[in-house]
Amino acid sequence: MTDGVLLVGYGNAMRSDDGLGWHAAERLAEDQRLAGSVVLQRQQLTPELALDISESALVVLIDASTALAPGVFSVTMVEPAADVLDRTWSHHVSPTTLVAIARELYGRACEVYVVSCGVQSLDIGDRLSPVVEQALPQMVDAIAELVVLRAVLPEGLDEEGRIL
Amino acid sequence: MSNTIVIDPVTRIEGHSKITIHLDDHGEVVDAQFHVIQFRGFERIAQGRPIHEMPSIMARICGICPVSHLIASSKACDQILAVEPPPTGADLRRVMNLAQIVQSNALSFFHLSSPDLLFGFDADPAQRNIIGLLQANPQLVRDGVGVRRFGQQIIEWLGGKRIHPSWIVPGGVDSPLSEETRNRILSTIPEAIAAIERAIVWYKSSLLDWADEAASFGDFRSAFMGLVDQDGNVDHYDGLLRVMDADGNLLADRIDPTTYTDYLGEAVEPWTYLKSTYWKAIGYPQGVYRVGPLARVIVADRMGTLRADIELDEFRRRLGRVPGSSFHYHYARLIDMLYASERIEELLRGPDILLPRVRAFAGINSNEGIGVSEAPRGTLLHHYRVDDDGIVQWANLAIATGHNNLAMNRSVLQVAKRYVKSAELTEPMLNRVEAVIRCYDPCLSCSTHALGEMALQVQLIGPSGVVLDELVR
Repeated sequence: MTDGVLLVGYGNAMRSDDGLGWHAAERLAEDQRLAGSVVLQRQQLTPELALDISESALVVLIDASTALAPGVFSVTMVEPAADVLDRTWSHHVSPTTLVAIARELYGRACEVYVVSCGVQSLDIGDRLSPVVEQALPQMVDAIAELVVLRAVLPEGLDEEGRIL
Repeated sequence: MSNTIVIDPVTRIEGHSKITIHLDDHGEVVDAQFHVIQFRGFERIAQGRPIHEMPSIMARICGICPVSHLIASSKACDQILAVEPPPTGADLRRVMNLAQIVQSNALSFFHLSSPDLLFGFDADPAQRNIIGLLQANPQLVRDGVGVRRFGQQIIEWLGGKRIHPSWIVPGGVDSPLSEETRNRILSTIPEAIAAIERAIVWYKSSLLDWADEAASFGDFRSAFMGLVDQDGNVDHYDGLLRVMDADGNLLADRIDPTTYTDYLGEAVEPWTYLKSTYWKAIGYPQGVYRVGPLARVIVADRMGTLRADIELDEFRRRLGRVPGSSFHYHYARLIDMLYASERIEELLRGPDILLPRVRAFAGINSNEGIGVSEAPRGTLLHHYRVDDDGIVQWANLAIATGHNNLAMNRSVLQVAKRYVKSAELTEPMLNRVEAVIRCYDPCLSCSTHALGEMALQVQLIGPSGVVLDELVR
């Protein structure tokens, strides 16, 4: 992908609210405000996404969080720290590390945001808890708004440039 | 935006596995256990599901190797439908499975293990990671990202959908391959092979540096198990099971994998959620065998492709026919990747690969099905029983990490005996425990994402059961 918008919903779709990123990705893929963007579902972040970050105009990572209250979501701009340290133990790569790899290896990283939502249940199951399910449409709206504001997708604006 | 913008990093709760090292009255290591403390429960999820849903559900078991579960699950469903995929459908499944092998092995070697090999096991963890690697050897990281993307793109291009392709289905694959996609994949193969070969050259140049680790990183006599084809060559998609002992003798050969319960037992221990499979003829817990890339290159007569066979010859010249050390998983993983890339090209250049007939259709014709394939980490079995309406009543998954569980425990014990010299844990010791487990590339961390970043917790336990020391990373 080059100069496009990439949306990655990640988590485990079989552990209830941990699959929030997948549920969000399904809605985002159908959302006309985001037409033209690439939407992926991933279980976890992996190093090759650094290449996408170097080639995209905007990347949004959608994630579950145990740090936020259930149903509360936040939008975080990823800032690569100088002392970024991913354990080599895990298959998972952090957003911060992905941005650092993109900058170090390819000389460019686009703006990357993490949209996180607090979870209520991580039990086995493929449905969201009611509180997270309720927050999902708002979260999708926030992501669409973010994409339109930061990447200025023409499909997201009306003839007078207003957000649809 | 109506919500607060938070700039803090996302924090996570850790806790997926731990290692306990037990000392006797003299302070000597007497036992070590690798505990998986996160219940996965995927077999329970399967119960009550219609069989046609199983491949896409099982693909969600693992974020690193979803295709492997898709393949094994679809093969189990093939048996329940009593169908064989058309040859082109089977070859397209093979291509996707091999792409999975490449991308998963690439993550293990380039991202997880190469920092150990470049900086050494005594290096500061702050340096011994992908960022340190970026600064010391950017070409290696670039190659790693490139090879992973190569495998991942094949999976996505074959899947042909924007999100979460479930292209592999019971009876074959969902749609034929287009000429455009075939050519697009073919155009990416030379660079992938070049990158893998650069990594092999680099690895071989540093192999002698790690003689001490190779001698204590799970260097023991055990059997090895993998799938081979009718000619005895490695086979990742189909084939028959071959089991070889530490002296190169065949304990079993050309076993129909659907009879696995005759040969493999599954033991459950109270201290871990991970089942331990064992070779029944030897018994538990002595019946240790290993699976995965090292087992594949050991049990097969040949790989079956030109470049991989040249590397296999050198591997055997350097290490012998049955190298006992799990350290050599790294070397084998590279050969495995090289083979997979070559084999993808062979399959895509096959005369029938673009044929439109790729799927067989049928209803429920059997109440039981077993699907077997080689996943990146080793032999993977999905076993389902369904009622007459195709609703899953029972499921059993024998995953590669379970096959390797006994070997991993033995490897941790060996490293602990070699490197634990007091009632205190040290960073170099922890580095090596971490690294020996990494040889097997166990896949434990995807059970939950929010909880799922696998921490390493090591406890040193005295003879009275008191925790003498603890390190968490």
